[in-house]
Amino acid sequence: MRQAATFLRVQETMAQNEVADWGAKMGGIRRAVYPFSAIIGQEKMKKGLILNAINLRLGGILIRGEKGTAKSTAVRALATLLPEIEGVKGCPYYCDLKNSAQLCDSCRIRLEAGEKLATISQRVSVIDLPISATEDRVVGNLDFEHAIKYGIRRFEPGILAKANRRIIYVDEVNLLDDHIVDVLLDAAATGLNVVERESISYIHPAEFILVGTMNPEEGDLRPQLMDRFGLCVEVEGVKDPGQRVEIVKRREAFDADPLGFINQWAGEEQVLRDRITAARQLLPRVYVSPELLALIAKLSLEAFVAGHRADIIMEAGARTIASWHGRTEVVEEDIYEAADLVLFHRVRQAPPPPPEEPESPEEEPEKTETPEEEEKEDSKEESQAESESEQPSSAQAGSELEEQEGGKDEQSENGETVFAVGQPFQVKRITHNRDRILRKGSGRRSRTNTASKVGRYIRSTMQRKNNDLAFDATLRVAALYQIYRKHEKVAITIETSDIREKVREKRIGNFLLFVVDASGSMGAQQRMSATKGAILSLLLDAYQKRDRIGMIAFKGNTAELLLPPTNSVEMAHKLLEELPTGGKTPLSAGLAKAYEVAKAQLLKDPNVSPLLIIISDGKGNVSIGSEKPAKEARRIGEIIMEEARIKSIVIDVEKEGLLTFGLARELANTLEAEYYKIDELKADTLVQAVRRNRDDRVSGLLA
Amino acid sequence: MKRKTYPFAAIVGQEEMKRGLLLNAINPKLSGILIRGEKGTAKSTAVRALAELLPEIEVVADCFYGCDPDDITTMCLNCRERLAKGEKLPRTRRKMRVVDLPVSATEDRVVGTLDLEQAIKKGEKRFEPGVLAQANRGILYVDEVNLLDDHIVDVLLDSAAMGVNTVEREGVSFTHPANFILVGTMNPEEGELRPQLLDRFGFSVNISGILDPELRVEVVKRRALFEEDPESLAALWETEQDKLRQQISAAKALLPKVQISDEMLFLIASIAIEMEVDGHRADLIMMKAAKTVAAFNGKEEVTEEDIRQSVDLTLLHRMRRKPFQDLSMDRKKLQEVLGGQQHSHSHTHTHTDVHSHTHAHAHL
Repeated sequence: MRQAATFLRVQETMAQNEVADWGAKMGGIRRAVYPFSAIIGQEKMKKGLILNAINLRLGGILIRGEKGTAKSTAVRALATLLPEIEGVKGCPYYCDLKNSAQLCDSCRIRLEAGEKLATISQRVSVIDLPISATEDRVVGNLDFEHAIKYGIRRFEPGILAKANRRIIYVDEVNLLDDHIVDVLLDAAATGLNVVERESISYIHPAEFILVGTMNPEEGDLRPQLMDRFGLCVEVEGVKDPGQRVEIVKRREAFDADPLGFINQWAGEEQVLRDRITAARQLLPRVYVSPELLALIAKLSLEAFVAGHRADIIMEAGARTIASWHGRTEVVEEDIYEAADLVLFHRVRQAPPPPPEEPESPEEEPEKTETPEEEEKEDSKEESQAESESEQPSSAQAGSELEEQEGGKDEQSENGETVFAVGQPFQVKRITHNRDRILRKGSGRRSRTNTASKVGRYIRSTMQRKNNDLAFDATLRVAALYQIYRKHEKVAITIETSDIREKVREKRIGNFLLFVVDASGSMGAQQRMSATKGAILSLLLDAYQKRDRIGMIAFKGNTAELLLPPTNSVEMAHKLLEELPTGGKTPLSAGLAKAYEVAKAQLLKDPNVSPLLIIISDGKGNVSIGSEKPAKEARRIGEIIMEEARIKSIVIDVEKEGLLTFGLARELANTLEAEYYKIDELKADTLVQAVRRNRDDRVSGLLA
Repeated sequence: MKRKTYPFAAIVGQEEMKRGLLLNAINPKLSGILIRGEKGTAKSTAVRALAELLPEIEVVADCFYGCDPDDITTMCLNCRERLAKGEKLPRTRRKMRVVDLPVSATEDRVVGTLDLEQAIKKGEKRFEPGVLAQANRGILYVDEVNLLDDHIVDVLLDSAAMGVNTVEREGVSFTHPANFILVGTMNPEEGELRPQLLDRFGFSVNISGILDPELRVEVVKRRALFEEDPESLAALWETEQDKLRQQISAAKALLPKVQISDEMLFLIASIAIEMEVDGHRADLIMMKAAKTVAAFNGKEEVTEEDIRQSVDLTLLHRMRRKPFQDLSMDRKKLQEVLGGQQHSHSHTHTHTDVHSHTHAHAHL
């Protein structure tokens, strides 16, 4: 390795203009952008964006909403409304001379050497972060072109460098790969990008504003990332026919002649820009009275926000709103308006604590919904109406469940019953991944090496299969042989035998195999309905995590694979609805079938880790062979247990009573599975169980 | 090797699918079609056959992305620079392309990548454009689109949204235009599409096998002839094909002149509201579709019938559905909107006038 260093003349140079030029030449198609002022409706979203254009300290905005509601259009349009800021000419980080703490190394050294740095004024630009971006492009990388040509190691700045003092825009931000999110969070927290990878060690300033759009249907954001967005708004389609028609007309006019349309709106845009400029100038003089500051603190407390970011942004937001209205004093209304934007994604909700679960407050250090309601009542009448309509529904959830259980079930002639699917409890809670970060240290989801080029580069290999070159490793190998090689126009000659590839790691979806007891005993006391409700809740979670699912049901004498492994949760739901209950309990047949299916899945894709979710009372009373049902079930259970890649969870549906057999618990012991009682089968705890199981597995893998 | 394609005109039945495809050939802004149906219902055949009918487009002759020489807003950077230098861009005409995106495609093949081995040996970076670049101004065809890898879907969504592909990977930072018509086929039995991707398709159709025995016999006959002697089948249908081609180019020429009245726009808006679709994309597509239908029928004014013909194509996959619900449409409700359109809305719009129509609404 020491030899390598002599050949690679180590010289940490700033990426100078040539690299920057290359980027400028290749990047940045200037496309015709729909004018901001021509967007109809969506006042809240527009307000949020404008506030960010006035005050860059608001920390960006997250726009959540259904598809086709001008989310992306509005963000793109924002770019033309942004202010101009001064920065060092030619510096890839566009350093601010007035902020000496955040200068990049090169600028600082030049300043210390007494050099006078020229500055230029540029409009704050919006940098796209495509979701296909690889980590090396986000954080920056070894400039291998330079390394090979000149034998000089040089840092090639990535998106985070470009984004210093600018805005990063992520469309569909919830689809961003988790390791990219980690990098973003890290940089956002410190304002610095620290690169320690691929033989590069480098630090540069990376203070950026995050703007993101997302459709919550596709899964939610990690709360930690969510918190990075200063403001958050939710948008939905306009309902007024007149406005809808106007939207269509304008869009059509824009599509037909983009440049003409932009010209037509140039006046309006200018008016808006002028008003933003005026507000920006007014902003430093806007004053918040101490009483109102107290109000801000009160609102934050009532919303049970984490940390103090909400307070800080609310204050800045209120001042910005005042400046937008041309006032130098913040009024109460400004604060409520700001609170609406700031607290939306920070309010912490918890389901009303179920009375049977005394430990639940301990598990969830969150508060009930009531305080949030109070806050809203204070703040806005419309939101009051909202929360009022929300609250009864959650309170009634339990009673609704019972009603439904009784109502819709169909009794067929042969003694089979098709139970309605019980209300999925607290589905909202499942989509809300708050507890995910608590266990972040032990990993969030199953990790696996990946053949695709997405994922984090963990090490290099000599095996050539993906054409996924690892520059650093290749260079290190090549360096050893440089004295013996001919050099034609390049400083480092690389031969095929030097080439190393990257081994990458990436998160994958799991394979959940539901093994459902559909025997007659499940029909007792409407258990099946509740069970179906729980399965449905898990299915929803599986959809968002892109898990594959399968379903086996056993009743009568056989077990049947109802749903072969698929991604189609719809199919699973339909089957769940139609699933009849009745007959004996062939538990061992169900387990055998589950083993068979899980094994087949493992053969197809060894990376997948099947998770059996066995829902039964464990009272098997039919066997496949000649053994006693209970013994047979135990034997098969042991076989499953021995296959380390298959994990299981047992959900006991037996009611607590005078006569309890605890057979399901025995089964769980045999399988070394996690065990849950039907009473604990609130979707909340069940889903946590599934998660915990996965996490354990991950930490097991890492250990 | 050029594969022989089955003539579009010779496809039996499946009128809705054929109409959807033809409309897309006329108006690329309709942003594609998703064909859902069971196996063996001429889904793929129809898409491949459409290629033969696609109109020619004006392109910059030596541009990889096939930029439109008359539209600076969608040009790639290179063309734009040349134009800025005062260069005259060489023009040529070529057919719109159909580019296949195989389900097994890797991400770097889709978005484009660096030829790393060359790069590392020669010390030169050169961007190798991927499928998205090839598909610019053409059709991107994904067979079994529901089986596409999730991260590839994400990439598609990203570039379909803006018509631009931004590459930030492996030492490459690059942007190029990627305006493509997304055409996909899928068998719903193998899993549904994610709603977000679903919404990117302008149209969707559900197709099923033909039930009429006579027509089924016809299908088999034609197919058998095609397999035995594709040339003679092609010759047999050449006049029909020609007619279609002419109809398409006539419609294409007429399209910019087609007008739509406020009355019709309000009808579209109320359909979208009544049917509770997400967002506004449905309105836009419905309007564009109705215009295209009018153009296809040689008319310069959109009528209610044109809207009727586009409703199914546009709305089927956009119906707001709760988790796990099947895609379906409330026909009755639709009929009500279309039939009993009373225009009782009290909007404060400038173009307001009392709309009432007395059209006979025979059937949908």
